[in-house]
Amino acid sequence: MSRKTERLVNLTIALLATKRYITKSEIFRTVDGYEGSEESKERMFERDKDDLRNLGIEIEVGTFDPLFEDETGYRIKPENYQFQLGEVDAREITLLSLAAEAWRGASMSSSALSALNKLHAIGIESDTELLLDLAPAIISQDTNLALAISAITSRTVLSFSYLNEELEKQNRALEPFAVTSRFGHWYIIGEDLDRKAIRLFRLDRVVGECKMQGKSGAFEIPSDFDVNDAFSHSTDLSSASLVLRDGRAINLRSRGVAMPDKTTPVGWQCFQIDYSDRERFIEEILWYGNDVIVSEPLDLRNEILNRLKLGLATYG
Amino acid sequence: MAKTQSTPVEKAARLFDLVPYISTHQGIALSDLANEFNLTESELLSDLNTLWMCGLPGYTPLELIDLEFESGYVTIRNAEVLQRVRLLTKQELVIILLGLDILSSSIDQSRQDLSLAILRLSEKIKDIVGNVAAASAIVDSTHRAAIMQAISARVDLSINYYSTIRDEITDRQITPLELSLDHGFEVLNAYCHNAKGFRTFRLDNMKTVAISQSSVNIPEEIEISDYQWSLRINARFRTSSERFRITYKARESNEPEEIVVSSFSQDWLLRNAVSTLGSVEVLQPLTARALIAQKCQSALELYDNWAFSK
Repeated sequence: MSRKTERLVNLTIALLATKRYITKSEIFRTVDGYEGSEESKERMFERDKDDLRNLGIEIEVGTFDPLFEDETGYRIKPENYQFQLGEVDAREITLLSLAAEAWRGASMSSSALSALNKLHAIGIESDTELLLDLAPAIISQDTNLALAISAITSRTVLSFSYLNEELEKQNRALEPFAVTSRFGHWYIIGEDLDRKAIRLFRLDRVVGECKMQGKSGAFEIPSDFDVNDAFSHSTDLSSASLVLRDGRAINLRSRGVAMPDKTTPVGWQCFQIDYSDRERFIEEILWYGNDVIVSEPLDLRNEILNRLKLGLATYG
Repeated sequence: MAKTQSTPVEKAARLFDLVPYISTHQGIALSDLANEFNLTESELLSDLNTLWMCGLPGYTPLELIDLEFESGYVTIRNAEVLQRVRLLTKQELVIILLGLDILSSSIDQSRQDLSLAILRLSEKIKDIVGNVAAASAIVDSTHRAAIMQAISARVDLSINYYSTIRDEITDRQITPLELSLDHGFEVLNAYCHNAKGFRTFRLDNMKTVAISQSSVNIPEEIEISDYQWSLRINARFRTSSERFRITYKARESNEPEEIVVSSFSQDWLLRNAVSTLGSVEVLQPLTARALIAQKCQSALELYDNWAFSK
């Protein structure tokens, strides 16, 4: 078992130390650990290359001597191996560490730990004063978040079973472009392969584990794709004017614009509030009971009245 | 502490990270090194013993990595090739990018210098991985830091809290007990000296958090009352489940199920019931049904009132 580890380390050292491309036969002859028939050495080497690639170590393939074009050689360019964020100062190290540290205990903690090890290996001490009063935390325990992120970075199609509003399972296949968190929930955004459109899914509505489907590098993320645009690009906004009891309906109030010109009874004020999902908005208004009165539009007002009458008929 | 047995590839990855770390921390104690890499000392020793066998082709003492750790302190020589800090994988960059976002949205306005530094780092990372991840903090990280400090020092907190259930903002003195999760929201379980009972506070609803000057003991005898309502969901199954915080699962049949929900807050149950009048029916207890009817009645009366009528 540790033979494999040794071989990977030795191969990396050899390919990193060389200034020229070295051929496969040179590798087999000089790097410790390649044993057995020619065929099994080939297999070992191919697997090792894949394993290193998965660690982010790119082996470059090239012709080592222009006179013998058929001989392919291999090397790892130092600039493709080493820390790529350039020079960083103590404060930047602290911020990057805090960002990784935010995942402690969450679903991505092993990636976070290896990132931290690298950051600390740079050997610049963190700014401890900064560490004291900041404690960002990311609270996802959802293992599908880790799967989603690796599918995005490896450009692999993701398939999963998703609960719709009727709580029925639907199978979805997605070219994942981005993950984002809003209102305490994680979302994955991508091209839905069946619906041929960009869709977003709330990760906690996925039943069971997401599965990677097919090969990595299967698609490209459109270069103009922006995760924030994708999220805000939703249906058209509607607007309503609501009369709110003073000091109540605090969340609604903070989203709205006060309309002091509208006459209201004492102790009440009128607000103009935008909404996108009508049904959700109705439920939100009802949540506040007799602290919110819909003034306009009329159809929204009537819908609230109908629900309240239904309630009285059901429970009265 | 010990993690599950790592694969040979994971172990190799760790060795690549150990070399530069030891190089910049020559003479580090074995225990500190194990701690940093979240390993037991014996796991670390096994790593170091493997590393000892590695080096440049030739593999004579001249080419092999030279490690010394028998004294209990680790030094490394002859490892120039691997001494470079390894690049961050795309996966690591994405999680750092998300972490930076959270950090940035929870930083005090007065620290513009930090916001700018974070922005610069984020831009650098986005150049490499693309604009593929964004997160917004709903919890102020200085609040979380104060809470964690109070829990470990066993002192009280004064908070200014927006209660969604009561729909009001109040000042409370609380004894913090533990941080936990409730349906995706980060919450603090605490004893509230104003309400005289154990309460759960959502961190994103805390407006201010401060360590309290005086701490009060939790009374030994306190009552926790729990309301249980049974209900039936008839439509909008997913949304209604989310409202009542019912852990949803795929529906097996079309027969509506009777579900029991419980909460220490009757007001929360009541508001949810009125909110979902169109899709959920509360069956039991009968007192709950009467309360819902009353709520509807009082709202309807307002609509009939001359000042609000159309």
